[in-house]
Amino acid sequence: MAILLIDWVGAVLALLVLAAAPLALGSSYIIGVLTVALCFGIWAASWDFMSGLTGRENFGHSLFIGAGAYAAGFLNVTFGLSPWWSLLAAPLVAVFFSILMGFPTLRLKGPYFALAMLSGAAVMQNLTIIFSEYTGGQDGLNGLEPLLDPPLAQYYFTLACLALTALVLKFIANSPWGTILRAIRGDEASCQAAGINVTFYKIASLMISAAFAGVGAALYAHYQLQVGPDLFAVVLSINIIIMVYVGGMGSIYGPIGGAVLLNVLTEVLRGFSEYRLWVYTLVLIFIVFFMPQGLVAPLWRRIRAVTR
Amino acid sequence: MTALLNVRDLSKRFGGLQAVKDVSFSLAPGTITGVLGPNGAGKTTLFNLLTGFIGFDSGSVEFDGRSIARLAPHQIVNRGLSRTFQLARPFMGMTVRENVEVACLAPRVRHRGTPRARAQALLEQVGLGAKAEQLVDVLPYGDLRRLEIARALATNPQLLLLDEPFAGLGGSEIEPLANLIKSLHRSERLTILIIEHKLREFMQLVSEVIAMDFGEVVAIGPPAMIVRHPRVVEAYIGTAAIERTAQPAEDGLGAL
Repeated sequence: MAILLIDWVGAVLALLVLAAAPLALGSSYIIGVLTVALCFGIWAASWDFMSGLTGRENFGHSLFIGAGAYAAGFLNVTFGLSPWWSLLAAPLVAVFFSILMGFPTLRLKGPYFALAMLSGAAVMQNLTIIFSEYTGGQDGLNGLEPLLDPPLAQYYFTLACLALTALVLKFIANSPWGTILRAIRGDEASCQAAGINVTFYKIASLMISAAFAGVGAALYAHYQLQVGPDLFAVVLSINIIIMVYVGGMGSIYGPIGGAVLLNVLTEVLRGFSEYRLWVYTLVLIFIVFFMPQGLVAPLWRRIRAVTR
Repeated sequence: MTALLNVRDLSKRFGGLQAVKDVSFSLAPGTITGVLGPNGAGKTTLFNLLTGFIGFDSGSVEFDGRSIARLAPHQIVNRGLSRTFQLARPFMGMTVRENVEVACLAPRVRHRGTPRARAQALLEQVGLGAKAEQLVDVLPYGDLRRLEIARALATNPQLLLLDEPFAGLGGSEIEPLANLIKSLHRSERLTILIIEHKLREFMQLVSEVIAMDFGEVVAIGPPAMIVRHPRVVEAYIGTAAIERTAQPAEDGLGAL
């Protein structure tokens, strides 16, 4: 789908709202919530680029996140390098893992890729416990330095990274590359019969997906100032997939919206204290039932159609 | 004239089933050849072997003077050998034009003009120009067949393999499609290998027929000779002819 003027207007408006939100709401607590939401936005968009477009669901995106975050942790805490190196190292390590997982599994049809990613992340989570003398075990690595000091500065840097991620991924998704990825989702055999090297496109897309997940992981690690085994957890991968579904799969911008919405919703629902998860789950069920295409992307398509 | 496709002793076994056995034939450039045989004769398997979707056990396949054994399907397409599928397999959720555009992105043809314009031109050629912006999901079956052909043509093949292009089409749709295939053969100087059940369309289209049964080639020759060949009558027509006496003609067999 071509990018129209209205899409740029929407993107700039969304950016302005996100930029103004911490100024309007003020507290450092809110800045923290929003920074985390933006990291999830990067993760959701990067998941969507590979899995949303090709339809090969990745149930272990946390493998790339954990790998990137621990790379940041080791460089910064163990080796004392500047936190800025993490922005390079985290995506590189994540891409290394994507090659490791993608080559054997993406050449096969069937559920191997989804299962391998799921178990790959689980294995890495356990390895962080087993090698606790290096990884800090359950406590993880502590004492990471922030990238930028006032948290607001780091928030704006994260926002810039998210905007860049969205721009790059959307640009590729709208290029012939994206057409091929959507064709792979439609029918792999037909794609091969059309002369397309399906395996190449799947692996390369997973590498791109992992690279951006790694960037998000570095930003997250240097905001939380701590990395732990939970960053490899299956539940993290599942949460990202839920955000993508709520946002609208295959649209790149939708999942970012879904990530921000669900992170903010979680905070808003704190007022419900012990009923929080009940309400959260009910909202999700409502969305899946009545808006199976998601919330953000279909809504935007409607706005587009009206303004056309 | 040297053959465009040279197949020698091609064999494939699936467990206990010899799907294709010692198949040999060659195709001269610019010809339309048919592959005839009852269900399970190994016709589609033969196509899958030639196009790299299934690896063969033994034998050799030479295309345009070079072996294409053990090449991946997309590599074979980029050598100039394309196929359609027996059941149309469009890219759901995409428009008709995007469906063809994907094939315009194959390395072999990527630099021949903009994919978008090429896709549109190909759609005009197969008579789908007006439906280019429709979602493929709502396309009627007859149009899907044309789309399959447009997508295969987009890769600029020298040899086009059509797997039952008339399957599932109504009577009024068959002749226009046959005419399309004939006109493509002329205008694109294509060599075509075509699997078909419906003998009437076959007889008009093809200059030579490869008759198969139980994975083996039982006869090769012009269509008029093939339909009278004893092995073909026995394998393909014989049993059906017996059924026909009990039951009025159906399918293409009635055309015999």
